[in-house]
Amino acid sequence: MTTQTTEGLRRPQTLIVGKSVGRVDSLDKVLGKPIYTMDITPENALYLKVVRSSVSHALLKKVDLSRARKYPGVVAVVTAQDIPGINESSALLPDKPLFATDRVRFAGEPIAAIASFDPSIAEEALELVDIEYEPLPTVFSPTEALEPDSPKIHTNGNVAKHLKVRKGDVEEGFKQADIIVEGTYKTPFQEPVPLEPEAGFVIPEPDGSVTCVGSIQSPYHVQTGIAKILSLRSEQVRVIQAATGGAFGPKSDEIPVDVLGMAALVAIRTRKPAVLAYTREESMIGHTKRHPFVISLKVGVKNNGKLTAWEAKLIADTGAYASLGPLVVIRACFHATGPYVIPNVKTDAYCVYTNNTMAGSFRGFGGPQAHFAAESHMDEIAKKLGMDPLELRLINMLRPGTLTATSQLVDEGCGLEECITKAVKESDWYNKRLQYTKLNGAKKRGLGIAIMYHGNSLGPEGNDFGTVHMQIDRDGTTRLRTALTEYGTGAPSGLLQIAAETMHLPLGYFKLDASDTEYCGDSGPTVASRTITIGGRATQMVAGNLGRKLRQVAADMLQSSVDDVEVTDGVYRRKSTEQSVTFLDVVAHAYANGIPLKETGTFTAPKCDYEPQTSQGTVYLQYTYGAVTAEVEVDTETGRVQVLKIVTAYDVGKAINPISLEGQIEGGTIQGLGYALMEEMIHKNGVVVNPNLGDYYVPTSLDVPEMKSIIVEYPGALGPFGAKAIGEPPIVLPAPAIVNAIDNAIGVRLNEIPATPDRVLLALRKATAQS
Amino acid sequence: MSKHLLKFTVNGKKHALVVQSHERLLDVLRDRLGLKGTKEGCSTGDCGICAVLMDGKLVNSCLVFAIQARNKEILTIEGVGTAENLHPIQRAFMKWNASQCGYCIPAMILASKELLDKNPNPTSEDIRKATSGIICRCTGYVKIFEAIKTAAAEMKASD
Repeated sequence: MTTQTTEGLRRPQTLIVGKSVGRVDSLDKVLGKPIYTMDITPENALYLKVVRSSVSHALLKKVDLSRARKYPGVVAVVTAQDIPGINESSALLPDKPLFATDRVRFAGEPIAAIASFDPSIAEEALELVDIEYEPLPTVFSPTEALEPDSPKIHTNGNVAKHLKVRKGDVEEGFKQADIIVEGTYKTPFQEPVPLEPEAGFVIPEPDGSVTCVGSIQSPYHVQTGIAKILSLRSEQVRVIQAATGGAFGPKSDEIPVDVLGMAALVAIRTRKPAVLAYTREESMIGHTKRHPFVISLKVGVKNNGKLTAWEAKLIADTGAYASLGPLVVIRACFHATGPYVIPNVKTDAYCVYTNNTMAGSFRGFGGPQAHFAAESHMDEIAKKLGMDPLELRLINMLRPGTLTATSQLVDEGCGLEECITKAVKESDWYNKRLQYTKLNGAKKRGLGIAIMYHGNSLGPEGNDFGTVHMQIDRDGTTRLRTALTEYGTGAPSGLLQIAAETMHLPLGYFKLDASDTEYCGDSGPTVASRTITIGGRATQMVAGNLGRKLRQVAADMLQSSVDDVEVTDGVYRRKSTEQSVTFLDVVAHAYANGIPLKETGTFTAPKCDYEPQTSQGTVYLQYTYGAVTAEVEVDTETGRVQVLKIVTAYDVGKAINPISLEGQIEGGTIQGLGYALMEEMIHKNGVVVNPNLGDYYVPTSLDVPEMKSIIVEYPGALGPFGAKAIGEPPIVLPAPAIVNAIDNAIGVRLNEIPATPDRVLLALRKATAQS
Repeated sequence: MSKHLLKFTVNGKKHALVVQSHERLLDVLRDRLGLKGTKEGCSTGDCGICAVLMDGKLVNSCLVFAIQARNKEILTIEGVGTAENLHPIQRAFMKWNASQCGYCIPAMILASKELLDKNPNPTSEDIRKATSGIICRCTGYVKIFEAIKTAAAEMKASD
């Protein structure tokens, strides 16, 4: 095994970037300060409760709200008829109404909202709504929805998106193969479970505009959505992000528009502030979840382990409305081969409507499903070849100079091999894999591996830009604000480090302002782990300009030229004379002389360049790479799987704040462990049967295995200081690594997650019956 | 609906309120006393993020009727420390960046306090058990465990 040397890679020298520092939002959070939406609701506000469809596909024959309207204490009832603008709350395709009018397409779809000063009265009035449904034919399986005679959820059919990758000739590749391995893999609806359910309030302003405050990721998506519903100019809708108690995707798209849109209708009608907070159950039913996928793979390989052809068909269930499903499918499609060199590729990915609840954005965005299939399949191929699955990966993995499935050249910023080498060493791979074959008894142990790549930022998914504003106050406080929001990631704190590094000033001067459309320019959505990569580039630009301005002022004070002034840790020194002034002197001088210390800038990433019919070309501007090993113990009598140890190694380009980065990795890993072993939103005839945290299991502190995070740094071409995306990638690999470890322990492949005790026992029984 | 006089102590301060039978401790703390640090996450006792200490014992305030707090001492996050005088647990959570979205953190800190008040030398297993009733969706718990270990060491050193 050769190990690529990391020496010689151009790594920037930094003083503040790369240090583990505290997050700016920590103090308020450990003190329990009132910073979240429901902590700061206005006085004399109306509270909304939502009337939702109880069936998954029907015509609305009658919606009688008269008894609810008359219920004492009810102040307003709003429906689609109260919408001054357009009845739409959607993410990408204009397919979803804010309120259903003639037809409902999933159980839980909003039909009306009831408002009262007392939320319990609004809730009681829900019982008085009389709705008559005329059932329509339903479809709940995405594969069935693809069939020509399936019920149509929308007039233009059930396929919201079909995307292809075509590289070489797969038939030719299969001919060159010694063996062909086929398999089908299934993944569940995974519920994001942000701990703070959706919440927002709207204040009607005297001039006819509205102020919206809420638990959101993307203020400008909300602004556009609310303006459309209310028929206002965008600038008449001010959106302020309150501290947001977790998001993971669903708070980026149409769901905050649902929440604030319904509240806005009540607010403009009653001229009172209006508050809407989802219950946990509403949140779990009403917001978007991870798309379930059915992925069929057919892969050709030579006896020496070289992959010759990879054919994939991916079918994603987006539920009743597309949300960002078409974009999720793009990402899944581009990652469907895993991080491997394959000369012949044919991938077809479909985003399909059903009458299930909506799927949409969730950390990883198609990557977890694609890699679960690809990485499970690599182990199956290795098994057929009688080869160590690690060796098979090392033979085929992407390295600098190779081509991806879209024929994109892998540049020097690829540390995949180092990730694998380090994770394998830490896991004691060869020794443990050997030891565990010798275990007797009902409890078996196994060790599995999975590897990945993850296209950074939006790539083909949208216009990729970020805007940052900075200003220096009289006391030196240097404030940064951006519509790229803080919802737990810590990335905006990272922007402050980047700014301090760029301006050579102590980090203590830097503060982060709230994300508010009144003061922050459009930055696109806060998604795709793009705050550091894109927002960080904008920060470098703005901080660079502001830093130059300060040096100019310092040069004037020192009667020198800018080139003769250097700045270290907030001290501006004239090189030739060693005279110096401090940052605070410079700021005072600037204020005294009317020099504004404010800068704004937008960074726009270059467009990705690929051929739309074959998807050949550059689909993302840089990639994060990673390798994860999982060690498990499987109880063959109960089917229980316990994860003993997880080792993660990610090539993050440059760790801006290592301790925060580890926090992201650990958090994503445990969400990924939940995806592997326990998390599944179960629908029966389209109705979610486990919409609560008693029946939908998420990992607790007792599920956490021994963990080891290894950081590898191969600077990428896009991010500041070479930094790469890390918010999303850690959720991708635990599931395939754990399922591969289960197979290593008990010799049984689970093609479907979560690997619940029932599924493990069933698979064991089937395997016993077959042998 | 019958009404009751509730006398209890919250964060060292005595309160007397008239409450209805069905009122939850969570709502009384948040809406009547304005202590917004206690969060609501599920209302069914599953997530644990509304936890407060009642006579030193961790309870889910969404499952406790206000009247059950009669003559009890309640500690919420607001009573743990201030910006000027942080509790060692709060300092340790900051040191480890153990708070991400922050929504579970008040409950996590109170769970840590319950543990460390009773057991100054917790094992890793003790720490996992003490926090197991509270869901954190962001951190994967690892930095929270580290923070509790750091706080334990600091509290012991200052004894």
